Amino acid sequence: MRVPLEWLKELVDFSISTDDLILKLTMVGLEVEGVERMEDDTVLEVNVTPNRPDCLSILGIAREVSALLNIPLKFPECEIREEGGPSLVDVEIADEDLCHRYAGRDIRGVTIGDSPEWLKKRIAKCGMRPINNVVDITNYVLLEMGHPLHAFDMDTLRGSRIRVARSRGGTITTLDGTERALPENSLLIWDGERPVAVAGVMGGAETEVKEATKSIFLESAYFLPSSIRRTSKALGLKTESAYRFERGTDIELLEKALDRAASLMAVHAGGKLSKKVDVYPRPFQPSRIKVRYERVNRILGASIPDDEMTDIVQRLGMKAEKGPKEFVATPPSFRGDIQKEIDLIEEIARFHGFDRIPVTVPKIPISKEAKDTRYHLMARVKESFRSAGFTEAINYSFMNPRMLDTLNIEENDSRRRTLILRNPINEEESCLRTTLAPSLIQNLLYNVSRGSRDVRLFEVSRIFIDEGALLPEEKHHLGAIYFREKTPSLWKEEAPDFYIVKGAVQSLLDDLRSGDYLFQPSSEPFLHPGKSGDIIVSGKKIGFLGTLHPYIIEKLSLKVSQQDILVVEMNLDALLASVSGGVKYTPIPRYPFIDRDIALVVDESLPATGVMEHLRAYPTELIEDISLFDFYKGKNIPEGKKSLAFTIRYRAEDRTLTDSEIEELHGKLTAYITAKTGGMVRGT
Amino acid sequence: MADINDIKTAFLQELASAGTAADLQQLKVKYLGKKGILTAKLKLLPTIPAEERPVYGKLMNELKMFIEGEIEGKESEIRDAERRSKIASEAIDITLPGKYTKPGKMHPISTVLKEIIDIFVSMGFDTEVGPEVELDYYNFEALNIPKDHPARDMQDTFYISDDVILRTHTSPVQVRTMERKKPPLRFIAPGKVYRCDADVSHTPMFHQVEGVVVDADISFSDLKGVLEIFVHLMFSKDTPVRFRPSFFPFTEPSAEVDIGCILCGGAGCRVCKGTGWLEVLGAGMVNPRVFEMVGYDPERYTGFAFGMGVERITMLKYSIDDIRMYYENDIRFLRQF
Ligand SMILES: [Zn+2]
Repeated sequence: MRVPLEWLKELVDFSISTDDLILKLTMVGLEVEGVERMEDDTVLEVNVTPNRPDCLSILGIAREVSALLNIPLKFPECEIREEGGPSLVDVEIADEDLCHRYAGRDIRGVTIGDSPEWLKKRIAKCGMRPINNVVDITNYVLLEMGHPLHAFDMDTLRGSRIRVARSRGGTITTLDGTERALPENSLLIWDGERPVAVAGVMGGAETEVKEATKSIFLESAYFLPSSIRRTSKALGLKTESAYRFERGTDIELLEKALDRAASLMAVHAGGKLSKKVDVYPRPFQPSRIKVRYERVNRILGASIPDDEMTDIVQRLGMKAEKGPKEFVATPPSFRGDIQKEIDLIEEIARFHGFDRIPVTVPKIPISKEAKDTRYHLMARVKESFRSAGFTEAINYSFMNPRMLDTLNIEENDSRRRTLILRNPINEEESCLRTTLAPSLIQNLLYNVSRGSRDVRLFEVSRIFIDEGALLPEEKHHLGAIYFREKTPSLWKEEAPDFYIVKGAVQSLLDDLRSGDYLFQPSSEPFLHPGKSGDIIVSGKKIGFLGTLHPYIIEKLSLKVSQQDILVVEMNLDALLASVSGGVKYTPIPRYPFIDRDIALVVDESLPATGVMEHLRAYPTELIEDISLFDFYKGKNIPEGKKSLAFTIRYRAEDRTLTDSEIEELHGKLTAYITAKTGGMVRGT
Repeated sequence: MADINDIKTAFLQELASAGTAADLQQLKVKYLGKKGILTAKLKLLPTIPAEERPVYGKLMNELKMFIEGEIEGKESEIRDAERRSKIASEAIDITLPGKYTKPGKMHPISTVLKEIIDIFVSMGFDTEVGPEVELDYYNFEALNIPKDHPARDMQDTFYISDDVILRTHTSPVQVRTMERKKPPLRFIAPGKVYRCDADVSHTPMFHQVEGVVVDADISFSDLKGVLEIFVHLMFSKDTPVRFRPSFFPFTEPSAEVDIGCILCGGAGCRVCKGTGWLEVLGAGMVNPRVFEMVGYDPERYTGFAFGMGVERITMLKYSIDDIRMYYENDIRFLRQF
């Protein structure tokens, strides 16, 4: 709401400085968002919250200033000379549930022309474009008193009648020249034959006031806010008029607004005023609201005296009947927002001053709730990936559905069960993510195209799967992408990229003490079939890691070197469910261990975990640990074979093992594993 | 007796020129060995006149102990020197870099979000969560924002269907939590929220932290106290805090909470639009209508709620001037934090 101070001063004659006024308005809830200083005036941009339609006018702001400074309000004056006899227009309200009052009068013999300069200047300062004297005056009164008016060219109203009734479909061409389909049940103004205006939203073009107009019918009515809002939304038509009607207008004031506009028209457009028509089937019923003094102070934590409370309420234009424990307030017709005790408590707080309410600390018992372990686990997941060299990304929860095609995701894959936005920002962000991989791939493309050759990112966010219920399944996922061009390193050769990423995953699983895990060849359609693995925790697949399929890289026209791009995604809810709670101490072994190595030459295709599983399955209680310490292919090893070397740690719980005992056991284990794997012991 | 002195003089000369452990060993053999000079002299003892024997024997003994002591002293001197030179030769260039995996960075939003959560957790707040895809009922209606209410204009909504939306704020978690639990309550609800406007100063997704305290005697003054402590812990102890009236359908009285501009110290700058104040929180007393919706008796319970935008606080903390940077995930941006 733009408020020119020169206009405001006409209604309330304050003498404080502009800066002081700005601060006072802001601190009473009318935030001044901007100040425009002009040559001869200053215009304040006041942010009026949706609960205060009464402040959408100079009069409304003046009322607050008057209450705030305790100085009188000067109501806009007007002089009415009804020389034209009774109105020639009959008014009927057919749907009084949507229109509680309809008043109007006709002005015959007007001359359409320019408005006086002062008036043009005022409405222009408020951001409205001058059109002609009649339209400008309706706008002027709208700005001044906050009540929207509408002027019809009376000679175009067929049958000299106005009927307020619901739409029955059909179309209307509105003032802006657009033909619009009329939404079912929207409230319309009809003449004897057809709709001539969308009530409270916009007038029709056929009855518009034009240069040749000789007589006008001026409307001032009260329409049900929710009805106006529905219609305005359905038509996609936001007007100054609808903006005020949908927030609630003053049903009592509308008559004064009508008089104010009519008297201005008589002066500036000429013509004779008829008597008023006023159909008022649902008169304003003032409510009586009890306010308990003690309750006010209890809610606010303050000790405001009873008299101050009633004084504030009275300054705001309400009646206040004082009792010993409570007072009864009667809000005026322009304060539709005040309906309950709490609404008055707010008014008292506002005018008492939020800054004068004490500052205390709540007395509340300490929480008996268990700490949110999930939050802490999530934080550990993030920390684990961060320390493994990944930087955290946060992407929008949206996805381009076409990315699923790019990634070859099959039709029956759960990642295809997307939620689609009705009103997306654009096609690329039109559904909710069912997987984090597409966003991270986009992040990679973005960074590579800007010259980065080291893109290691992870994200922890929710994904959304439509399982047919009202609300989707929301699951927490961890996603990561890894791309790093090898640069000469000072110290030692690093592991191949796949194992670096796998190491990050293993480190996370170990750190969380997740259930038993293993990696199995993956069949994710966008991963390299020979360089990818599903992550299996406690027997269930919770995610995957692997190298992006060369075919996908081609499709994404990603111009990078030979380097692999690795993608990881894990369902954290499934992972965290496998995390065991406590740790139980096991006694430190009392007897020494003995380590023995086995180096095996086996087929290259035999996975290391397979050999490991066979070793673990060997029936003895004396093996404490098995670890793989060497992997070798090449010189001295036959083509198609590889060498794997394990350290076996032997220990007994109850005695020191003897050398001969170990020799025998290790010999048997060696024979067993060569037989199981079809391999042979290296170097023998 | 002169020969004893000669031996001593000769020994000292040879000792002085002995430089290695081997030299010393030789010296030891030469003087103290089975065939050494002293042993040879001692063998001659019976040939000395009987009356001189005790004196001579004593002197010889003293000489032996002297030689032993000197050799031992020299030995440890040489050992030390050898050790020192070995240690000196082992020196490395400690300025060469260490070997480690350079850790990544947390997203600035995450860092600030964690800071906010930690402050409230330290004050005894629990944390609650709720769905990001939410029912219109929880996002609006239960919060006293009926359909066809202009307050809905305050938040542009992404729709999935007529009844299902992307939550526009974290406030639905208030309702869901109150439906599930009885007072006393003190919790925060952090998370992502969505609004369908995207321009220079808005992103379609952002983060909020909601907070709620409900019990038998919670007042507006308590709200002021808790948020003042929060601001002081989050920014600094002398950051001014200002509460001014505002409107949210689910709180009443409602307040905007401003802090003294941390960039210009209140003098007025571009960020605070010259006012010296920055809006960082929305807050208020829980509207009795919301209590009625969740089945709490508003006569018995009162409470306050507040909400803040994490992006805004992060902008202030790191002087970030373009909100869109947060979600471009440019490595050159992310690595700065
Ligand atoms: Zn500033």
